[in-house]
Amino acid sequence: MEYLSLFVKSIFVDNMIFAYFLGMCSFLAVSKNVKTAAGLGLAVIFVLLVTLPINYLLNTYVLQPGALKWISPEMAGVDLSFLSFIVFIAVIAAIVQIVEMVVEKFSPELYSSLGIFLPLIAVNCAILGGSLFMQQKDFLNIGEATVYSLGSGLGWFLAIVSLAAIREKMSYSNVPAALKGLGITFITVGLMGIAFMTFMGISL
Amino acid sequence: MNTNNNVYTVVYTTIIVVVVAAILAFVSQSLKAKQDANEKAETISQMLTSAGYGTKAELDRLGNSAKLDKYAEEIEEAFVINLNGERVSELEGITVYGPKDLKRQNYNIKGGANKTGEPEIPVFIFKNGRTVVPIYGAGLWGPIWGYISFNSDLSTIGGAYFDHESETAGLGAKIKDDPSFQAEFVGEKADFSSANVFDIVKGGSPKDGEGVSLIDNKIDAITGATMTSQGLDAAIDTWLAAYAKYFLGEKPACDKPCCGGEDKDEPCDGNCENHKEVED
Amino acid sequence: MDAKLKETILNPIFKGNPITVLVLGICSSLAVTVTLKGALVMALSVIVVCGISSLILSLLRKTIPGRVRIIVQLVVVAMMVILVDQILKSFEATYAIDKQLSVYIGLIITNCIVMGRIEAFALGNKPWPSFLDGIANGAGYGLILIIVAFFRELLGSGTLFGFDILNRFGYVPNNLVILPPFALILLGCIVWVQRSIQKDLQEK
Repeated sequence: MEYLSLFVKSIFVDNMIFAYFLGMCSFLAVSKNVKTAAGLGLAVIFVLLVTLPINYLLNTYVLQPGALKWISPEMAGVDLSFLSFIVFIAVIAAIVQIVEMVVEKFSPELYSSLGIFLPLIAVNCAILGGSLFMQQKDFLNIGEATVYSLGSGLGWFLAIVSLAAIREKMSYSNVPAALKGLGITFITVGLMGIAFMTFMGISL
Repeated sequence: MNTNNNVYTVVYTTIIVVVVAAILAFVSQSLKAKQDANEKAETISQMLTSAGYGTKAELDRLGNSAKLDKYAEEIEEAFVINLNGERVSELEGITVYGPKDLKRQNYNIKGGANKTGEPEIPVFIFKNGRTVVPIYGAGLWGPIWGYISFNSDLSTIGGAYFDHESETAGLGAKIKDDPSFQAEFVGEKADFSSANVFDIVKGGSPKDGEGVSLIDNKIDAITGATMTSQGLDAAIDTWLAAYAKYFLGEKPACDKPCCGGEDKDEPCDGNCENHKEVED
Repeated sequence: MDAKLKETILNPIFKGNPITVLVLGICSSLAVTVTLKGALVMALSVIVVCGISSLILSLLRKTIPGRVRIIVQLVVVAMMVILVDQILKSFEATYAIDKQLSVYIGLIITNCIVMGRIEAFALGNKPWPSFLDGIANGAGYGLILIIVAFFRELLGSGTLFGFDILNRFGYVPNNLVILPPFALILLGCIVWVQRSIQKDLQEK
């Protein structure tokens, strides 16, 4: 039950895009059509799902104050938390690099439509944000961390696919020329964000 | 040179990672003493602010050493207690609990995998009669902490100062930057006998016709900073509950038997007014 | 100064603005624009970080192996930001500045502009133009940040730089303006204005 409520909460209530506005750059730039958006969404789910548990283990057993006591009791005073930013980001960058190579090899079409936004997943705030929230939330075990990462990833996927669907429909609408494309997308996302705020009062 | 060669890639990455880690470790180690001194002076100025020795800006105009002197001059007693409210040890010299120490104690209070020992939480009593205790918890983006001072009746809040690591400027950061938010705490009472010691909720306490709040331990949350407000609320509840036994035990003894008991020396578990003499 | 360098500097500020044209650095522009002061601190930090990390990575560009370039870029950027933070933290005089800045450390490292410009420009150009490109992109980003923050602080709190402007005339601050979705709507309007002036940027 704990897991289920954490899962639902991380998809809707703590939605990375509409509650925290994380990972906006690629969200806005790669949502022109549903197919590409779904591709990037899957990549984000994958990267979150891999990096968050790894970072959880690193944080628990290496980085946080007293984390090294499993090596020897004398190490209990060591505090490596000043390294956490760089360690998290290095893990994320490594995974993104692998994803980039895999996508390039197996789906060159998706690779070219994602363009610069594939390597930019590494600086997608949603991914680093996930790891920092994990540090913040003090999950009790790796199971919770994994469920949380899956939920956050799915929430991001859901958001980008729904925006892409709206944008596909919107291309038939009569939008003022200067507002077409990016401008109206900004405004749409703003309105979607306001709509998503209704989830904020829900406590699970 | 072929930079796509496997050996080159591995060697290059290893060198970069080792060099970067070495630089950071070296800098962090060599500057640690200075950083700790700055942090200590900052913590002291936050506690002095909460205890009513001037505003934060006034205290910040003093240098680091002047802050330490002021603290040494004004502190009456500083000691560490456990969750039963019993004194465990005295705090010798100028020893304060900054965010790093609070983080460790926060784990100990909450228990779970990160617990490193029994909770040992500090109490600072200043010469003006105020008792300062810290709080610590999670905000939206990072840790939040602060110092709340109680008047000598040990239930009315005399002042509060909060700080954070990375809350959003203009929203969550208001817990630190907005003096009117901190001023809201002054005069409120903490209800140590309940699990919900203090409340930060949207709308705050219901008010009577003249705008006087009807419930003592409720204040208004920060608009637009729901997560930070909730985090601060949880932090205050967790920490003040940990101090509850100390605060209830240290209440001035009543001059009339409370709660119908015979023993005059038995400490009251709340305000005397709430316990009408049963015998009469 | 030759025309090409001038173009490198002027282009990112208006015509190729990182936020409104390249869609980079959106997350942080939502987070830091509630107050003008926050926007200014963030803008200055990004100008410095973007300039210097473009310079360093442009110097290293011929030695970086293609397959691990993301890790190398991020590690260098993160290291620099953390170093500056650590040094500022150690001196009594700069400690107060660091307290202002440390809030943004995570946002600066994950700011897509820094890495976006390294990927797109610094890795293929000489150090001096890369440095200028970094600075100019930081400035273009800062410009938009300050415009958005101006409206959000004025309408959301009735103040500018913390000084009361509108409240004394009985203005009731609009709480919607300080929520992130409104920043998106404002960005949409800025794009609208910009593209009405620069017709060649309009999307078909």
